Amino acid sequence: MKPITIPGTLASLSLLRDYARAAAAEAGLDKKRTYRLELAVDEIATNIVNHGYQEAGLTGDVVARATITAQALEIVLEDTAVPFDPRHLMRPEQIDLPLAERPIGGLGVFLAIENVDEFRYEYVDGHNRNIFVVNRTAA
Amino acid sequence: MAFSVTSETVNGIAKFTLVGELDAAAAGEFKAAIEQAAASQPKRVVLIMNALTYMASAGLRTLVFAKQKMGANVDIYVIGVQEAVRETIEMTGFHHSVIMLDTYDAAEIESV
Repeated sequence: MKPITIPGTLASLSLLRDYARAAAAEAGLDKKRTYRLELAVDEIATNIVNHGYQEAGLTGDVVARATITAQALEIVLEDTAVPFDPRHLMRPEQIDLPLAERPIGGLGVFLAIENVDEFRYEYVDGHNRNIFVVNRTAA
Repeated sequence: MAFSVTSETVNGIAKFTLVGELDAAAAGEFKAAIEQAAASQPKRVVLIMNALTYMASAGLRTLVFAKQKMGANVDIYVIGVQEAVRETIEMTGFHHSVIMLDTYDAAEIESV
């Protein structure tokens, strides 16, 4: 699919969800897997905008690129914010804590990783690359 | 679909109706509504979610905020949540900290 470039702002998140939804439709994913992919992409993009750009005092874009093969749909999010591997934020043990005692952070990354079949991160040539893979046949 | 939240507090019950997509961009609006309702120190919080089609972790964090703001002894009822949103709530364990009901049960909620 043709990639899209959106400004790295929270207001643009819905455009990324639209892109993920369109890619999922093209790959023939069902409603549930489509929603999960949208959520995963949205959560990581939220981290890129909040932590990668805004908190670091940077501005920049997020590029989304979907590739569909016979086996899987892969979406790559690329940004030029500070190098950041979101997997470091994943703390699944927190989900057992009562609501009033929960620390903030890590929840979005947990949801992102849990909701796709494969999640990868790379830092290449000054770009963060967050990669989401969803199998086209039910696992 | 854009997000909207309407709220009213009647007899100590703060009721919020959430519509559309609750992502990180929209969470501030929900948080502001919670903050405003917290001022009247409600005894219960009710979130009507039948028309909420999407919720990201920013929405879940607002539930944490609500619990911390209103007090741990103020029950939060989540009503009519859609299947996909329910899955997110359960995946993150939040269903242990709120009361999930399919429909608004006045007898249970309003008997304070």
